[in-house]
Amino acid sequence: MSLPSGTRNYTYAQDMAILRTRTHWVLFFGFLVLLFTAPLYLGNYWLGVANLIGITLIAATGLNILTGYCGQLSIGHAGFIAVGAYTSAILTNRLELPFLVGLICAGLTAGFIGLIFGIPSVRVKGFYLAITTIAAQFIIIWVINHWSALTGGFVGIKVPYASIGSFVFKSEASQFYLIITITALCIFFAKNLARTKVGRAFIAVRDNDLAAQVMGINLFYYKLLAFFIGCFMAGIAGSLLAHWIGFMNAEQFSLTESILYIGMIIIGGLGTTLGPILGVVFIRLLQQILTVEFVPFLERTITALPSGFATGVTPMLFGLVIVLFLVLEPRGLAHRWALLKSAYRLWPFSY
Amino acid sequence: MAELFQLLITGIAVGMVYALIALGFVVVWKSSSVANLALGQLVLFSSWFTYGMLVQAKFPLWLAFPLVIIFALALGWLIERFALRPLIAQPILSLITVTLGIAYFIEGIVTFIWPWSVDALPRLFPIEPLHIGDAVVSQEYVWVACISLLVFGLLTAFFRYHKMGIAMRATADDQMAVQACGIPVTRIFSMSWMFACLVAAIGGVLISSIGGITHGLVETGLKAFSVVILGGLNSFAGAIIAGPIIGLAENLGGGYLTPFLWAGVKDIIPFVIIIIVMLIKPYGLFGEVRIERI
Repeated sequence: MSLPSGTRNYTYAQDMAILRTRTHWVLFFGFLVLLFTAPLYLGNYWLGVANLIGITLIAATGLNILTGYCGQLSIGHAGFIAVGAYTSAILTNRLELPFLVGLICAGLTAGFIGLIFGIPSVRVKGFYLAITTIAAQFIIIWVINHWSALTGGFVGIKVPYASIGSFVFKSEASQFYLIITITALCIFFAKNLARTKVGRAFIAVRDNDLAAQVMGINLFYYKLLAFFIGCFMAGIAGSLLAHWIGFMNAEQFSLTESILYIGMIIIGGLGTTLGPILGVVFIRLLQQILTVEFVPFLERTITALPSGFATGVTPMLFGLVIVLFLVLEPRGLAHRWALLKSAYRLWPFSY
Repeated sequence: MAELFQLLITGIAVGMVYALIALGFVVVWKSSSVANLALGQLVLFSSWFTYGMLVQAKFPLWLAFPLVIIFALALGWLIERFALRPLIAQPILSLITVTLGIAYFIEGIVTFIWPWSVDALPRLFPIEPLHIGDAVVSQEYVWVACISLLVFGLLTAFFRYHKMGIAMRATADDQMAVQACGIPVTRIFSMSWMFACLVAAIGGVLISSIGGITHGLVETGLKAFSVVILGGLNSFAGAIIAGPIIGLAENLGGGYLTPFLWAGVKDIIPFVIIIIVMLIKPYGLFGEVRIERI
């Protein structure tokens, strides 16, 4: 870890600290204040975007632990999010249990389903695992669509607002606080997980699982643990998504959505805490700007556009962005940011 | 009995098409160790292109099919040249996700040009049903099976006797040795991608001439993965044998399990087979078990 010149660590506590300098602390609290006062200066529309970003961020952080740290590629993440969303929807709607119970159960159910589909990862990796998770995605969505007595099938299911005690998270702003708090907790957890024994074991498994096993890391335990944590977070995100939208339908969890999640953590940068944040904000903002501002604008100005333009241009651009990032900057935006930081530290003496 | 016979014929015919699409995957995997997850979208894209040629541009068959073949070859070349070549020697994670990016991109193009998303190709084969005993079999399936067999035969001959086919097999065997012999490996890579797109196009046209063009063609491409997994990733023979097995399992399961389970059980059987194979014999029936060294 390179430090700015003049900054030294004298104790182990200093060396381990996430926030090292006074500037760090000031910036951090400034950011927190800015974040938690957001409902004061953001309209309902942008608060909605922020909520979507927060929910996506929880799921992407989970996927980053699974794929970025532990190296187990999962192309069924939207499926696991769907498990969480439907668990929460069924518990709160059909059984009328409180929201918090639904939230925790959503995480646990998604985690256990993830464990089941993660078992093959102990013997296979790479492409085989990718295919297993795609199969998981299809099986989960199929079951949701056809077990209509429980899930509402193709019609969908209504979900009540989230509530703790007698307080109901009804307005966009109150939901923003709920979502952003859980998101912050998840990111804090992920950041610290990477620095513990478990996180180091994950990284060892990712870099070379055979070598890790030889050094005494229990592959079975750690790979399944990564699946559990990743899918648990997906379940939490799914539960929040269900209570935020208020209506669930399996169409919201397609394979393309899963691919988009992979795209987000690739664009952000695999195996960093910052990566998913940058990637999710980038993709979701791009999505909003494209579908809400840019495409209607183009359709107004150029009337001769083909009718498929509006629906076709978004996936086209996303696919292009994913391919371009892999070809040109495979380490993602987080790496760019690190380069920028070190350039700033050394400026104006860039050698 | 009649129903069983009908399901058998349909299953084998559909399975042969799966096997055809799967062959494209196996060739790319063997020559360059790239897992092509965009198979489904390639099938979808080339079916729509055929539709564009036959229905929208109203070209006659003899002109449309060569154009489709040229289109498929060009598509393969473009994908290899601009997405895969810059990523040679990158980790497998990048190689898999780049094909996912391509899949996304192609899906965008398809919705862009053909936004109505469901349509029918003109019938390519006679539709009068065949009567075999007391069973009634749609003639189209027999035609599809025969054409698939013909394509298998041509491909086998190509890989056995043609210089390029032999070079491709050699590349699959040992890249370093092939390079030392003066065979341009990158050209083999792009050949294998062109080949994959070609068989995906043939498979797509065969399937969609029966069932019409829908977004389900993407799933058809994904079902080809279950063929690959069951047969083994690097085995041509495995793909050809596993294809009809998957097709049979899908159709027999769909025919006999639907009363006991939910409707639409047919579509999920290949994916369940993937999970089962993964748990029991992950390298498939004929796949090579890789021994890893540190």
